[in-house]
Amino acid sequence: MLFRKNRKRFHEQIQLNTQQEITGQKGLLSSDLDENLHVFHSIYQDCMDVVFRTFLIGGQTRAVLIFIEGLSNLEEVDDNVLAPLASETEGKVRPRELLEKKIHISKMKEVKTVTECIEYISVGFPVLLVEQEMVGLALGLCKWEKRSIEEPQAESVVRGPREGFVEALHVNTSLLRRKIKSPDLKMKSRKIGRYTDTHVVIAYMKGLADQTLIEEVENRLQRIDIDSVLESGYIEELIEDNPYSPFPQLINTERPDVAAANLLEGRVVILVDGTPFVLIAPISFFSLLQSPEDYYQRFLISSAIRLLRFVFMLMSLLLPSLYVAVLTYHQEMVPTALLISMFSSRETVPFPALVEALMMEITFEALREAGVRLPKQVGAAVSIVGALIVGQAAVQAGLVSAPMVIFVAITGVSSFMVPHYTQGIALRMLRFPIMLLAGSLGLLGIMLGVILIVVHLCGLRSFGEPYLSPIAPMKKNELKDSLIRAPWWGMNKRPHLTGEYNPYRQAPGQKPNPGKGDES
Amino acid sequence: MIEKGKISAFQMALMIEPTVVATAVLVVPSVTAKVAGRDMWISPIFGSLVGFFSLFIVYQLHKHFPEKSIIQYSGDIIGRIPGKIIGLIYLFFLLHSSGIITREYADFIIAAFLPRTPMFVVMGGMILVCAFTVLSGLEVLGRAAQVFVPIFMSTPLLFILLIPDLKLENIVPIMEHGMMPSILGAVIPQGWLSEVSLISMFLPFLKDREKGGKWGIISVIVIILHLVIINIVCLLLYGESVTSYAFPVLTAFRYISVATFFEHLEAVVVIIWVMGAFIKISVFYYVLVLGTAQWLNLSDYRPIVFPIGFLVCLVCIWAAANGQELGRFLRTISPFYIPSIMTFIPMLLLLIAIIKKKMRNKRQPVPTNP
Repeated sequence: MLFRKNRKRFHEQIQLNTQQEITGQKGLLSSDLDENLHVFHSIYQDCMDVVFRTFLIGGQTRAVLIFIEGLSNLEEVDDNVLAPLASETEGKVRPRELLEKKIHISKMKEVKTVTECIEYISVGFPVLLVEQEMVGLALGLCKWEKRSIEEPQAESVVRGPREGFVEALHVNTSLLRRKIKSPDLKMKSRKIGRYTDTHVVIAYMKGLADQTLIEEVENRLQRIDIDSVLESGYIEELIEDNPYSPFPQLINTERPDVAAANLLEGRVVILVDGTPFVLIAPISFFSLLQSPEDYYQRFLISSAIRLLRFVFMLMSLLLPSLYVAVLTYHQEMVPTALLISMFSSRETVPFPALVEALMMEITFEALREAGVRLPKQVGAAVSIVGALIVGQAAVQAGLVSAPMVIFVAITGVSSFMVPHYTQGIALRMLRFPIMLLAGSLGLLGIMLGVILIVVHLCGLRSFGEPYLSPIAPMKKNELKDSLIRAPWWGMNKRPHLTGEYNPYRQAPGQKPNPGKGDES
Repeated sequence: MIEKGKISAFQMALMIEPTVVATAVLVVPSVTAKVAGRDMWISPIFGSLVGFFSLFIVYQLHKHFPEKSIIQYSGDIIGRIPGKIIGLIYLFFLLHSSGIITREYADFIIAAFLPRTPMFVVMGGMILVCAFTVLSGLEVLGRAAQVFVPIFMSTPLLFILLIPDLKLENIVPIMEHGMMPSILGAVIPQGWLSEVSLISMFLPFLKDREKGGKWGIISVIVIILHLVIINIVCLLLYGESVTSYAFPVLTAFRYISVATFFEHLEAVVVIIWVMGAFIKISVFYYVLVLGTAQWLNLSDYRPIVFPIGFLVCLVCIWAAANGQELGRFLRTISPFYIPSIMTFIPMLLLLIAIIKKKMRNKRQPVPTNP
């Protein structure tokens, strides 16, 4: 009941706000410059960064330039707008003629309403209003301070392009366009966020991406009504299929090459202004295990590395639980010599294996989190504390056993082998309930936990695509790019679920065969 | 339809394989060896005839009523009230056998793994996991089968490590006393194989119906191969003394020892077997829940998943006082009990359906007897 009431009140509030906006700002520009100025002054009251520059065109006609300091390129404004207009001698001129004759700027828009003006001013376009004119001019002279293109920190590769997305949206779209030159790369823009008015771009390849998928993505974005979008994470949480699943249903990447590769497999990329992380949908469990480098290294090596990654992913989920289960319930599984050495090191440990494992794992998680958040200067202190106190002193004090420390370390390393951070987090979280199950039911408990996880994954979907495909449901053709990576000359077809419109990505029979090539 | 999900024929085959093998694999070698002796490896082949027969009947019925399950078309064939009675018998059988299977699972886990854990915990944990699966629907069950069953089916590969211990002379002379012992030995495996007729509940939900029959046959063949391989390995390993083991297959894995490090694999094997048992219990549980919903004409089966799970738990406890009694039930009663419901009732339904169709074709407007 309470909830519903709140919602009603919320809707009333919204209506009120929008009404105010309509009456206050949607009006047309008037021909009286003073009236216009008055409107803008009242809108930009207490905004010290908004500049109103009044001047005379050719010494007669009054004009005003409104812009926000720091968003517009002032040098260009001086050279290309103020100087030619001030030296104008023809007297009274219409903005249309000004546009054609005097101002030489490639990007220029006519604006008719106050709202339009505000939109342009807030993205950095100086708006020029002239006396006796009902039409203003938005001049494309914005210059935002932005980070230069750098190598992405979170996804580094040994071999592969070194550029990463930045916070500025148009830089990101240009990076994508530079990779895919075909005009089939479509980018649809929309604005989300009542206050932030953030640009969100849906990029896809026409003819490769499923039309229903694009519509679905657009519908889900359409439904979003939020006051701010500061990172693509906001969007991700509002459009995923199962919000309670620990597994991510969209991946984020900082790399243009990853985004381009996914576009070419028929997926949709969502770019959000203000963050270097773009979202990719739909994905499957196995796309989370893929690193961009898999496609750049030779296929035998990358297949081997993928298998290794898969094994270690399982280990990051199960290793501490296996240790607990084997030590508590199934000692007979361990070869005798190893068992003796393990038990002799546990002799002084006062805790049961489960408590020991939980303690160490939680400590490890805390150390990891501390290491991420700390300023770099004190990072060394954490690693010293972690390595010496937890690793060495705890064993010497007899609080934990040495094998436990080894297992925790291996688990930690293996959880970092998952190339996508978000999935690493999911598995790290799931490790704890499985440890509890292992402590209470042994290997059977682990198995039940694994069955539950697999059943959950079987039911999970990412924008309609089954999460465990191509294993379940089985897609024979796509197995080539799941746990292993087939050579490029063997992957003639695109993935079935995302690329069925245009199934062939290359001509068949490109397996290099130098002997035959010479004969023909 | 109550179930909206669709599965492929391949997924159905993968679901049926452990539905027969998972519990059979535990005791088949010792119980067939009691009757068939050295010829026990032939018995599953004879038993398969029942499997093929049930498959044939169910598939023919499916052709007559492509959109319906046995609970639904029994009413069409013999009238509403008798149909409901048949459906009720069928459902009670499913409830009882779900309980029995869960009991077999729990008994085995307790004997092999967790001797001091109360049965309720072992059984309840599994039923809970299965309930979660059944709630997620047929599609999820099919996909889970696709993940787990290939692993479950690969366990016989581990027997390769046993090759040094196998004595080929245990198998000869073949058919020393004629065919009879091996045919009699088939009496017990045929009971399990008649469970193949559970596919009658899955056939209406196939994406590729034309392949249903083909994959049904393939799954029966794989089941036989699985059982024959297990019987042969047990025979070659133990000779005729296989009868003295409670769980001969599990014991066989204890023999594996490679380089004195790679040994005591039985815990791993039990874990893999749990995957098969999970699929088997889930399949029975799902069929039971779906059948009940169809019998009661419910619009959704989800609300009855947990109540029925509770019933399965109860039946599981009541099914037998102890392992001995359960074993006796499996050896003496179930070979007749299971086929009489799983094969005999569908067979009667098919006969009546065919006769009715013939009669209708003979004299056009006929008032059919209820």
